[in-house]
Amino acid sequence: MAAQPAPTPGAARAPVVSVRGLRRDYPMGDEIVRALRGVSFDIGAGEHVAIVGPSGCGKSTLLNLLGVIDRPTAGEVRIQGRDVGGLPDREATAFRLRHIGFVFQRFYLMPMLSARENVELPMAEAGVPAAARAARARELLAYVGLADRERHRPAQLSGGEQQRVAIARALANRPTLLLADEPTGELDAATGGEVIALFQRLREDGTTLVVVTHDDALARAAGRVIQMRDGGIVGR
Amino acid sequence: MLSLVLAAAMQLGTRGGPIAVPPHVRTIAIDTRLAEDARLRVGDRVVLAGQPAAAEGGDTVVVAAIVAPNADPSEIARADYRIRLHLSELQRLVGTGDRVDRFAVRTTAAPGRQDVTDEALARINAAAFGFHAYRSSEVAVRTSRTFQVVNRFHRAIALITIVASSIFLLCILVLRVDERRRDVAALRLLGISRRSIVGSIVVEAALISLVGSGLGTAVGWAASLAINWHYRGVYRTPLAFARVTPDIVLVAVALAIVLGVGAGALAATRLVRLPPLALFGR
Repeated sequence: MAAQPAPTPGAARAPVVSVRGLRRDYPMGDEIVRALRGVSFDIGAGEHVAIVGPSGCGKSTLLNLLGVIDRPTAGEVRIQGRDVGGLPDREATAFRLRHIGFVFQRFYLMPMLSARENVELPMAEAGVPAAARAARARELLAYVGLADRERHRPAQLSGGEQQRVAIARALANRPTLLLADEPTGELDAATGGEVIALFQRLREDGTTLVVVTHDDALARAAGRVIQMRDGGIVGR
Repeated sequence: MLSLVLAAAMQLGTRGGPIAVPPHVRTIAIDTRLAEDARLRVGDRVVLAGQPAAAEGGDTVVVAAIVAPNADPSEIARADYRIRLHLSELQRLVGTGDRVDRFAVRTTAAPGRQDVTDEALARINAAAFGFHAYRSSEVAVRTSRTFQVVNRFHRAIALITIVASSIFLLCILVLRVDERRRDVAALRLLGISRRSIVGSIVVEAALISLVGSGLGTAVGWAASLAINWHYRGVYRTPLAFARVTPDIVLVAVALAIVLGVGAGALAATRLVRLPPLALFGR
Protein backbone atom coordinates (compact mmCIF):
# COMPACT_ATOMS: atom_id res chain seq x y z
CA MET A 1 0.00 0.00 0.00
CA ALA A 2 1.16 3.54 -0.64
CA ALA A 3 1.76 6.04 2.13
CA GLN A 4 -1.21 8.31 2.87
CA PRO A 5 -0.45 11.62 1.23
CA ALA A 6 -0.29 14.59 3.57
CA PRO A 7 -1.72 12.98 6.72
CA THR A 8 -3.49 14.96 9.39
CA PRO A 9 -1.10 16.49 11.91
CA GLY A 10 0.93 13.92 13.81
CA ALA A 11 0.64 12.54 17.27
CA ALA A 12 0.97 15.76 19.19
CA ARG A 13 -1.63 15.58 21.98
CA ALA A 14 -3.23 19.05 21.71
CA PRO A 15 -6.98 18.39 21.88
CA VAL A 16 -8.60 18.34 18.50
CA VAL A 17 -11.96 17.58 20.05
CA SER A 18 -13.10 19.00 23.35
CA VAL A 19 -16.49 17.95 24.74
CA ARG A 20 -17.84 19.58 27.89
CA GLY A 21 -21.07 18.79 29.75
CA LEU A 22 -22.70 17.52 26.58
CA ARG A 23 -26.40 16.73 26.87
CA ARG A 24 -28.89 15.67 24.25
CA ASP A 25 -32.55 15.22 25.06
CA TYR A 26 -35.20 14.00 22.64
CA PRO A 27 -38.88 14.70 23.21
CA MET A 28 -40.78 11.44 22.83
CA GLY A 29 -44.48 12.17 23.21
CA ASP A 30 -44.98 13.50 26.73
CA GLU A 31 -41.63 12.15 27.87
CA ILE A 32 -38.10 13.31 27.32
CA VAL A 33 -35.47 10.74 26.46
CA ARG A 34 -32.07 11.75 27.81
CA ALA A 35 -29.73 10.26 25.23
CA LEU A 36 -26.61 11.99 26.61
CA ARG A 37 -26.32 13.08 30.23
CA GLY A 38 -23.48 15.56 30.57
CA VAL A 39 -20.57 13.89 28.78
CA SER A 40 -17.07 15.43 28.87
CA PHE A 41 -13.81 14.29 27.28
CA ASP A 42 -10.98 15.42 25.01
CA ILE A 43 -9.47 13.77 21.96
CA GLY A 44 -5.93 14.65 21.04
CA ALA A 45 -4.59 15.02 17.54
CA GLY A 46 -3.73 11.66 16.04
CA GLU A 47 -5.68 9.73 18.67
CA HIS A 48 -7.73 6.67 17.74
CA VAL A 49 -10.75 6.44 20.03
CA ALA A 50 -13.35 3.70 20.05
CA ILE A 51 -16.75 4.40 21.59
CA VAL A 52 -18.42 1.20 22.74
CA GLY A 53 -21.48 0.24 24.70
CA PRO A 54 -24.85 -1.49 24.38
CA SER A 55 -27.46 -0.37 21.88
CA GLY A 56 -29.28 2.77 22.97
CA CYS A 57 -26.48 3.93 25.29
CA GLY A 58 -25.93 7.17 23.33
CA LYS A 59 -22.95 6.22 21.11
CA SER A 60 -24.55 7.30 17.83
CA THR A 61 -25.97 10.45 19.42
CA LEU A 62 -22.46 11.37 20.54
CA LEU A 63 -21.07 10.63 17.08
CA ASN A 64 -23.77 12.80 15.48
CA LEU A 65 -22.83 15.68 17.76
CA LEU A 66 -19.12 15.23 17.03
CA GLY A 67 -19.99 15.14 13.32
CA VAL A 68 -21.91 18.43 13.49
CA ILE A 69 -25.11 16.85 12.22
CA ASP A 70 -27.06 17.35 15.43
CA ARG A 71 -27.24 20.10 18.04
CA PRO A 72 -26.71 19.55 21.75
CA THR A 73 -29.41 20.39 24.26
CA ALA A 74 -26.67 21.71 26.56
CA GLY A 75 -22.89 21.72 26.80
CA GLU A 76 -20.41 22.31 24.03
CA VAL A 77 -18.45 20.52 21.35
CA ARG A 78 -15.28 22.20 20.17
CA ILE A 79 -13.31 20.98 17.19
CA GLN A 80 -9.94 22.63 16.82
CA GLY A 81 -11.13 25.23 19.29
CA ARG A 82 -14.29 26.15 17.41
CA ASP A 83 -17.65 25.66 19.08
CA VAL A 84 -19.61 23.72 16.48
CA GLY A 85 -22.69 22.94 18.55
CA GLY A 86 -24.81 25.81 17.31
CA LEU A 87 -23.69 26.19 13.71
CA PRO A 88 -26.51 26.97 11.27
CA ASP A 89 -27.11 24.34 8.61
CA ARG A 90 -25.10 25.96 5.84
CA GLU A 91 -22.06 26.57 8.04
CA ALA A 92 -22.33 23.08 9.52
CA THR A 93 -22.35 21.60 6.01
CA ALA A 94 -19.30 23.63 5.02
CA PHE A 95 -17.56 22.64 8.27
CA ARG A 96 -18.23 18.94 7.66
CA LEU A 97 -16.88 19.25 4.13
CA ARG A 98 -13.55 20.69 5.29
CA HIS A 99 -13.02 19.18 8.72
CA ILE A 100 -14.98 15.95 9.16
CA GLY A 101 -14.69 12.65 7.32
CA PHE A 102 -17.53 10.14 7.67
CA VAL A 103 -17.37 6.39 7.22
CA PHE A 104 -20.75 4.68 7.35
CA GLN A 105 -21.75 1.13 8.13
CA ARG A 106 -23.39 0.76 4.71
CA PHE A 107 -20.74 2.64 2.72
CA TYR A 108 -23.21 4.87 0.81
CA LEU A 109 -21.08 5.11 -2.30
CA MET A 110 -22.82 6.66 -5.28
CA PRO A 111 -23.70 3.67 -7.48
CA MET A 112 -23.38 5.45 -10.81
CA LEU A 113 -19.89 6.77 -10.07
CA SER A 114 -16.61 4.88 -10.27
CA ALA A 115 -14.43 4.35 -7.19
CA ARG A 116 -12.25 7.30 -8.18
CA GLU A 117 -15.23 9.56 -8.88
CA ASN A 118 -16.68 8.68 -5.49
CA VAL A 119 -13.42 9.72 -3.83
CA GLU A 120 -13.36 12.91 -5.89
CA LEU A 121 -16.89 13.90 -4.86
CA PRO A 122 -16.07 15.85 -1.65
CA MET A 123 -13.11 17.49 -3.39
CA ALA A 124 -15.30 18.60 -6.29
CA GLU A 125 -17.69 20.17 -3.79
CA ALA A 126 -14.74 21.89 -2.12
CA GLY A 127 -13.69 23.38 -5.46
CA VAL A 128 -10.47 21.41 -5.91
CA PRO A 129 -9.37 21.59 -9.59
CA ALA A 130 -10.09 18.44 -11.62
CA ALA A 131 -6.48 17.43 -12.16
CA ALA A 132 -5.58 17.87 -8.51
CA ARG A 133 -8.56 15.90 -7.26
CA ALA A 134 -7.94 13.09 -9.75
CA ALA A 135 -4.33 12.85 -8.53
CA ARG A 136 -5.40 12.93 -4.87
CA ALA A 137 -8.11 10.30 -5.49
CA ARG A 138 -5.54 8.00 -7.12
CA GLU A 139 -3.18 8.46 -4.19
CA LEU A 140 -5.91 7.68 -1.69
CA LEU A 141 -7.09 4.63 -3.60
CA ALA A 142 -3.48 3.42 -3.65
CA TYR A 143 -3.32 4.10 0.09
CA VAL A 144 -6.34 1.87 0.75
CA GLY A 145 -4.99 -0.78 -1.64
CA LEU A 146 -7.38 -0.23 -4.52
CA ALA A 147 -5.13 1.42 -7.11
CA ASP A 148 -6.22 -1.09 -9.73
CA ARG A 149 -9.94 -0.66 -9.02
CA GLU A 150 -10.33 3.06 -9.61
CA ARG A 151 -12.61 2.64 -12.63
CA HIS A 152 -14.85 0.06 -11.00
CA ARG A 153 -18.30 0.99 -9.86
CA PRO A 154 -19.44 0.06 -6.34
CA ALA A 155 -21.51 -2.87 -7.62
CA GLN A 156 -18.29 -4.35 -9.05
CA LEU A 157 -16.51 -4.19 -5.69
CA SER A 158 -16.74 -6.46 -2.65
CA GLY A 159 -18.09 -5.11 0.64
CA GLY A 160 -14.58 -4.69 2.05
CA GLU A 161 -13.43 -2.89 -1.09
CA GLN A 162 -16.44 -0.60 -0.98
CA GLN A 163 -15.69 0.28 2.61
CA ARG A 164 -12.09 1.04 1.71
CA VAL A 165 -13.29 3.34 -1.08
CA ALA A 166 -15.57 5.01 1.48
CA ILE A 167 -12.57 5.51 3.78
CA ALA A 168 -10.58 7.03 0.91
CA ARG A 169 -13.55 9.33 0.23
CA ALA A 170 -13.67 10.33 3.91
CA LEU A 171 -9.98 11.29 3.74
CA ALA A 172 -10.31 13.26 0.51
CA ASN A 173 -10.35 16.78 1.96
CA ARG A 174 -7.73 15.98 4.62
CA PRO A 175 -10.24 16.13 7.49
CA THR A 176 -9.34 17.16 11.03
CA LEU A 177 -11.42 14.30 12.37
CA LEU A 178 -12.46 10.97 10.87
CA LEU A 179 -15.68 9.50 12.27
CA ALA A 180 -16.76 5.93 11.63
CA ASP A 181 -20.11 4.43 12.58
CA GLU A 182 -19.92 0.63 12.81
CA PRO A 183 -17.53 0.48 9.83
CA THR A 184 -17.23 -3.33 10.03
CA GLY A 185 -20.90 -3.92 10.76
CA GLU A 186 -21.72 -5.07 7.22
CA LEU A 187 -18.52 -7.05 6.65
CA ASP A 188 -17.49 -10.61 7.35
CA ALA A 189 -14.55 -11.31 9.64
CA ALA A 190 -11.94 -11.42 6.87
CA THR A 191 -12.93 -8.19 5.13
CA GLY A 192 -13.61 -6.58 8.50
CA GLY A 193 -10.01 -7.43 9.37
CA GLU A 194 -8.81 -5.55 6.29
CA VAL A 195 -10.70 -2.47 7.41
CA ILE A 196 -9.31 -2.76 10.96
CA ALA A 197 -5.80 -3.00 9.52
CA LEU A 198 -6.47 0.11 7.48
CA PHE A 199 -7.66 1.99 10.58
CA GLN A 200 -4.50 0.92 12.41
CA ARG A 201 -2.47 2.30 9.57
CA LEU A 202 -4.42 5.55 9.64
CA ARG A 203 -3.68 5.79 13.35
CA GLU A 204 0.03 5.23 12.73
CA ASP A 205 -0.06 7.93 10.10
CA GLY A 206 -1.54 10.39 12.59
CA THR A 207 -5.21 10.54 11.57
CA THR A 208 -7.53 11.52 14.42
CA LEU A 209 -10.14 8.80 14.41
CA VAL A 210 -13.32 8.15 16.40
CA VAL A 211 -15.07 4.84 15.83
CA VAL A 212 -18.42 3.75 17.20
CA THR A 213 -18.50 -0.03 17.21
CA HIS A 214 -19.80 -3.25 18.65
CA ASP A 215 -16.83 -5.07 17.12
CA ASP A 216 -14.36 -6.07 19.85
CA ALA A 217 -11.50 -6.47 17.38
CA LEU A 218 -12.03 -2.95 16.06
CA ALA A 219 -12.27 -1.55 19.61
CA ARG A 220 -9.04 -3.32 20.59
CA ALA A 221 -7.26 -1.68 17.66
CA ALA A 222 -8.05 1.75 19.11
CA GLY A 223 -5.62 3.57 21.36
CA ARG A 224 -8.40 4.53 23.76
CA VAL A 225 -11.83 3.09 24.43
CA ILE A 226 -14.71 5.14 25.79
CA GLN A 227 -17.28 2.86 27.38
CA MET A 228 -20.82 4.25 27.49
CA ARG A 229 -24.02 3.25 29.22
CA ASP A 230 -27.36 5.05 29.67
CA GLY A 231 -26.10 8.25 28.06
CA GLY A 232 -22.99 8.58 30.17
CA ILE A 233 -19.34 7.51 30.08
CA VAL A 234 -18.69 4.60 32.46
CA GLY A 235 -15.12 3.78 31.54
CA ARG A 236 -12.16 5.03 29.49
CA MET B 1 -72.32 -2.01 -59.69
CA LEU B 2 -69.41 0.11 -60.54
CA SER B 3 -69.40 3.68 -59.38
CA LEU B 4 -68.49 5.79 -62.32
CA VAL B 5 -66.62 8.95 -61.69
CA LEU B 6 -66.14 11.73 -64.12
CA ALA B 7 -62.60 12.35 -65.13
CA ALA B 8 -62.43 15.44 -67.31
CA ALA B 9 -58.76 14.98 -68.03
CA MET B 10 -56.82 11.75 -68.20
CA GLN B 11 -53.78 12.74 -66.20
CA LEU B 12 -53.07 9.38 -64.74
CA GLY B 13 -50.12 7.77 -63.08
CA THR B 14 -49.78 4.34 -64.60
CA ARG B 15 -48.61 1.06 -63.23
CA GLY B 16 -47.12 -1.32 -65.71
CA GLY B 17 -46.00 1.31 -68.21
CA PRO B 18 -47.70 2.73 -71.31
CA ILE B 19 -49.32 0.38 -73.79
CA ALA B 20 -49.93 0.73 -77.45
CA VAL B 21 -53.69 0.96 -78.04
CA PRO B 22 -55.23 1.26 -81.49
CA PRO B 23 -56.92 4.66 -81.94
CA HIS B 24 -60.42 3.21 -82.33
CA VAL B 25 -60.30 1.33 -78.99
CA ARG B 26 -61.58 3.18 -75.95
CA THR B 27 -59.42 3.18 -72.82
CA ILE B 28 -60.12 3.46 -69.13
CA ALA B 29 -58.10 3.78 -65.95
CA ILE B 30 -59.01 1.72 -62.88
CA ASP B 31 -57.91 1.99 -59.27
CA THR B 32 -55.60 -0.47 -57.61
CA ARG B 33 -58.35 -2.04 -55.48
CA LEU B 34 -60.39 -2.96 -58.52
CA ALA B 35 -57.26 -4.20 -60.27
CA GLU B 36 -56.39 -6.45 -57.35
CA ASP B 37 -59.91 -7.76 -56.73
CA ALA B 38 -60.74 -8.34 -60.39
CA ARG B 39 -57.15 -9.41 -61.19
CA LEU B 40 -56.95 -6.89 -63.99
CA ARG B 41 -53.74 -5.68 -65.54
CA VAL B 42 -52.86 -2.92 -67.96
CA GLY B 43 -53.82 -4.07 -71.45
CA ASP B 44 -56.71 -6.26 -70.33
CA ARG B 45 -60.01 -5.86 -72.19
CA VAL B 46 -63.19 -5.43 -70.17
CA VAL B 47 -66.83 -4.81 -71.00
CA LEU B 48 -68.23 -1.64 -69.50
CA ALA B 49 -71.96 -1.07 -68.99
CA GLY B 50 -74.11 1.35 -66.99
CA GLN B 51 -76.13 -1.49 -65.39
CA PRO B 52 -75.10 -5.12 -64.69
CA ALA B 53 -78.06 -6.38 -66.65
CA ALA B 54 -76.91 -4.39 -69.66
CA ALA B 55 -73.45 -5.99 -69.73
CA GLU B 56 -74.07 -7.72 -73.01
CA GLY B 57 -74.72 -4.43 -74.68
CA GLY B 58 -71.78 -2.73 -73.13
CA ASP B 59 -68.62 -1.37 -74.64
CA THR B 60 -65.38 -3.28 -74.73
CA VAL B 61 -62.58 -1.08 -73.43
CA VAL B 62 -58.91 -1.55 -72.64
CA VAL B 63 -57.40 -0.94 -69.22
CA ALA B 64 -54.81 1.68 -70.05
CA ALA B 65 -53.72 2.56 -66.53
CA ILE B 66 -54.00 1.47 -62.91
CA VAL B 67 -54.02 4.41 -60.51
CA ALA B 68 -53.58 4.64 -56.78
CA PRO B 69 -56.64 5.83 -54.85
CA ASN B 70 -56.62 9.29 -53.35
CA ALA B 71 -55.47 9.72 -49.77
CA ASP B 72 -58.90 10.99 -48.77
CA PRO B 73 -60.15 10.20 -45.27
CA SER B 74 -63.77 10.57 -46.40
CA GLU B 75 -63.35 7.60 -48.72
CA ILE B 76 -61.59 5.04 -46.54
CA ALA B 77 -64.75 3.46 -45.19
CA ARG B 78 -66.29 3.19 -48.65
CA ALA B 79 -65.52 0.08 -50.62
CA ASP B 80 -66.31 1.71 -53.97
CA TYR B 81 -64.25 0.88 -56.99
CA ARG B 82 -63.23 3.73 -59.22
CA ILE B 83 -62.94 3.88 -62.94
CA ARG B 84 -61.80 6.90 -64.88
CA LEU B 85 -63.05 7.16 -68.39
CA HIS B 86 -63.46 9.68 -71.13
CA LEU B 87 -66.36 12.06 -70.68
CA SER B 88 -68.12 10.99 -73.89
CA GLU B 89 -67.93 7.35 -72.82
CA LEU B 90 -69.38 8.18 -69.42
CA GLN B 91 -72.23 10.14 -70.95
CA ARG B 92 -73.06 7.26 -73.22
CA LEU B 93 -72.98 4.70 -70.41
CA VAL B 94 -75.28 6.55 -68.03
CA GLY B 95 -77.57 7.70 -70.79
CA THR B 96 -77.71 11.31 -69.58
CA GLY B 97 -75.34 12.95 -71.92
CA ASP B 98 -76.29 16.51 -71.08
CA ARG B 99 -76.23 16.42 -67.29
CA VAL B 100 -73.58 16.44 -64.56
CA ASP B 101 -73.95 16.76 -60.81
CA ARG B 102 -70.74 18.66 -60.22
CA PHE B 103 -67.59 19.55 -61.98
CA ALA B 104 -64.33 21.26 -61.13
CA VAL B 105 -62.86 24.27 -62.88
CA ARG B 106 -59.20 25.09 -62.65
CA THR B 107 -58.13 28.59 -63.67
CA THR B 108 -54.91 29.14 -65.51
CA ALA B 109 -54.16 32.35 -63.63
CA ALA B 110 -51.13 32.55 -61.39
CA PRO B 111 -51.65 31.16 -57.86
CA GLY B 112 -52.98 33.80 -55.51
CA ARG B 113 -54.89 35.72 -58.17
CA GLN B 114 -58.08 35.99 -56.15
CA ASP B 115 -59.62 38.42 -58.58
CA VAL B 116 -59.57 35.86 -61.37
CA THR B 117 -61.17 33.24 -59.13
CA ASP B 118 -63.77 35.76 -57.96
CA GLU B 119 -64.65 36.61 -61.52
CA ALA B 120 -64.94 32.92 -62.49
CA LEU B 121 -67.19 32.25 -59.49
CA ALA B 122 -69.41 35.22 -60.36
CA ARG B 123 -69.76 34.21 -63.98
CA ILE B 124 -70.56 30.57 -63.19
CA ASN B 125 -73.11 31.54 -60.52
CA ALA B 126 -74.75 33.99 -62.94
CA ALA B 127 -74.85 31.49 -65.80
CA ALA B 128 -77.11 28.81 -64.32
CA PHE B 129 -80.08 28.88 -61.97
CA GLY B 130 -79.84 26.43 -59.06
CA PHE B 131 -76.13 26.14 -59.50
CA HIS B 132 -73.55 27.37 -57.06
CA ALA B 133 -69.80 27.51 -57.39
CA TYR B 134 -67.49 27.21 -54.40
CA ARG B 135 -63.82 27.74 -53.90
CA SER B 136 -61.88 24.53 -53.35
CA SER B 137 -60.95 25.74 -49.85
CA GLU B 138 -64.69 26.13 -49.00
CA VAL B 139 -65.40 22.65 -50.32
CA ALA B 140 -62.54 21.28 -48.22
CA VAL B 141 -63.97 22.91 -45.08
CA ARG B 142 -67.50 21.64 -45.83
CA THR B 143 -66.39 18.08 -46.45
CA SER B 144 -64.01 17.88 -43.51
CA ARG B 145 -66.32 18.96 -40.70
CA THR B 146 -66.68 15.40 -39.48
CA PHE B 147 -62.94 15.09 -39.35
CA GLN B 148 -62.62 18.36 -37.49
CA VAL B 149 -64.90 16.96 -34.80
CA VAL B 150 -62.90 13.73 -34.74
CA ASN B 151 -59.73 15.81 -34.56
CA ARG B 152 -61.09 17.68 -31.54
CA PHE B 153 -61.83 14.37 -29.87
CA HIS B 154 -58.28 13.27 -30.56
CA ARG B 155 -56.93 16.48 -29.06
CA ALA B 156 -59.06 16.02 -25.96
CA ILE B 157 -57.90 12.42 -25.59
CA ALA B 158 -54.28 13.52 -26.12
CA LEU B 159 -54.64 16.23 -23.49
CA ILE B 160 -56.10 13.79 -20.95
CA THR B 161 -53.32 11.31 -21.77
CA ILE B 162 -50.63 13.96 -21.36
CA VAL B 163 -52.06 15.21 -18.04
CA ALA B 164 -52.45 11.67 -16.68
CA SER B 165 -48.99 10.58 -17.82
CA SER B 166 -47.51 13.81 -16.43
CA ILE B 167 -48.95 13.06 -13.01
CA PHE B 168 -47.72 9.48 -13.32
CA LEU B 169 -44.24 10.66 -14.34
CA LEU B 170 -44.20 13.15 -11.49
CA CYS B 171 -45.11 10.45 -8.96
CA ILE B 172 -42.55 8.02 -10.37
CA LEU B 173 -39.78 10.61 -10.23
CA VAL B 174 -40.70 11.71 -6.71
CA LEU B 175 -40.69 8.07 -5.60
CA ARG B 176 -37.40 7.38 -7.37
CA VAL B 177 -35.76 10.35 -5.70
CA ASP B 178 -37.32 9.42 -2.37
CA GLU B 179 -35.80 5.94 -2.64
CA ARG B 180 -32.40 7.63 -2.52
CA ARG B 181 -32.99 9.46 0.73
CA ARG B 182 -30.17 7.57 2.48
CA ASP B 183 -27.76 8.42 -0.33
CA VAL B 184 -28.83 12.05 -0.02
CA ALA B 185 -28.36 11.85 3.76
CA ALA B 186 -24.85 10.44 3.27
CA LEU B 187 -24.02 13.23 0.81
CA ARG B 188 -25.24 15.81 3.31
CA LEU B 189 -23.04 14.25 6.00
CA LEU B 190 -20.07 14.38 3.65
CA GLY B 191 -20.62 18.12 3.40
CA ILE B 192 -22.26 18.26 -0.01
CA SER B 193 -24.48 21.34 -0.09
CA ARG B 194 -28.21 21.24 -0.67
CA ARG B 195 -27.74 23.24 -3.84
CA SER B 196 -25.26 20.71 -5.28
CA ILE B 197 -27.55 17.80 -4.43
CA VAL B 198 -30.62 19.45 -5.97
CA GLY B 199 -28.55 20.43 -9.02
CA SER B 200 -27.25 16.92 -9.59
CA ILE B 201 -30.70 15.38 -9.20
CA VAL B 202 -32.21 17.91 -11.60
CA VAL B 203 -29.49 17.25 -14.19
CA GLU B 204 -30.02 13.52 -13.80
CA ALA B 205 -33.79 13.95 -14.14
CA ALA B 206 -33.29 16.06 -17.28
CA LEU B 207 -31.02 13.42 -18.81
CA ILE B 208 -33.45 10.62 -17.95
CA SER B 209 -36.30 12.66 -19.46
CA LEU B 210 -34.27 13.37 -22.58
CA VAL B 211 -33.35 9.71 -23.07
CA GLY B 212 -36.93 8.69 -22.19
CA SER B 213 -38.45 11.09 -24.67
CA GLY B 214 -35.98 9.87 -27.32
CA LEU B 215 -36.99 6.28 -26.67
CA GLY B 216 -40.65 7.29 -26.60
CA THR B 217 -40.29 9.03 -29.93
CA ALA B 218 -38.61 5.97 -31.41
CA VAL B 219 -41.35 3.70 -30.09
CA GLY B 220 -44.01 6.13 -31.35
CA TRP B 221 -42.40 6.29 -34.76
CA ALA B 222 -42.19 2.48 -34.96
CA ALA B 223 -45.81 2.23 -33.79
CA SER B 224 -46.91 4.72 -36.46
CA LEU B 225 -45.21 2.58 -39.12
CA ALA B 226 -46.99 -0.52 -37.84
CA ILE B 227 -50.36 1.27 -37.59
CA ASN B 228 -50.06 2.71 -41.08
CA TRP B 229 -48.96 -0.63 -42.52
CA HIS B 230 -51.92 -2.40 -40.88
CA TYR B 231 -54.68 0.07 -41.73
CA ARG B 232 -53.41 0.81 -45.21
CA GLY B 233 -53.73 -2.91 -45.79
CA VAL B 234 -57.19 -3.08 -44.21
CA TYR B 235 -58.61 -0.05 -46.05
CA ARG B 236 -56.38 -0.22 -49.11
CA THR B 237 -55.55 3.46 -49.03
CA PRO B 238 -52.32 5.44 -49.08
CA LEU B 239 -53.68 7.54 -46.21
CA ALA B 240 -51.38 8.04 -43.19
CA PHE B 241 -53.32 7.05 -40.08
CA ALA B 242 -50.58 7.94 -37.61
CA ARG B 243 -47.80 10.44 -38.06
CA VAL B 244 -44.83 11.47 -35.91
CA THR B 245 -43.96 14.93 -37.16
CA PRO B 246 -41.01 17.09 -36.07
CA ASP B 247 -43.49 19.35 -34.25
CA ILE B 248 -44.83 16.42 -32.26
CA VAL B 249 -41.27 15.28 -31.42
CA LEU B 250 -40.34 18.79 -30.29
CA VAL B 251 -43.40 19.09 -28.08
CA ALA B 252 -42.84 15.62 -26.62
CA VAL B 253 -39.16 16.24 -25.83
CA ALA B 254 -39.81 19.71 -24.42
CA LEU B 255 -42.71 18.48 -22.32
CA ALA B 256 -40.70 15.52 -20.99
CA ILE B 257 -37.74 17.70 -20.05
CA VAL B 258 -39.89 20.35 -18.40
CA LEU B 259 -41.79 17.69 -16.46
CA GLY B 260 -38.63 15.77 -15.59
CA VAL B 261 -36.78 18.85 -14.39
CA GLY B 262 -39.85 20.05 -12.49
CA ALA B 263 -40.43 16.71 -10.82
CA GLY B 264 -36.73 16.24 -10.05
CA ALA B 265 -36.45 19.71 -8.56
CA LEU B 266 -39.62 19.26 -6.53
CA ALA B 267 -38.58 15.88 -5.16
CA ALA B 268 -34.98 16.90 -4.49
CA THR B 269 -35.96 20.16 -2.78
CA ARG B 270 -38.43 18.29 -0.61
CA LEU B 271 -35.74 15.78 0.32
CA VAL B 272 -32.86 18.14 1.14
CA ARG B 273 -35.10 20.21 3.40
CA LEU B 274 -35.16 17.30 5.83
CA PRO B 275 -32.29 17.03 8.33
CA PRO B 276 -29.77 14.30 7.39
CA LEU B 277 -30.64 12.29 10.50
CA ALA B 278 -34.32 12.33 9.54
CA LEU B 279 -33.33 11.08 6.09
CA PHE B 280 -31.51 8.23 7.80
CA GLY B 281 -34.72 7.48 9.68
CA ARG B 282 -33.24 8.35 13.08
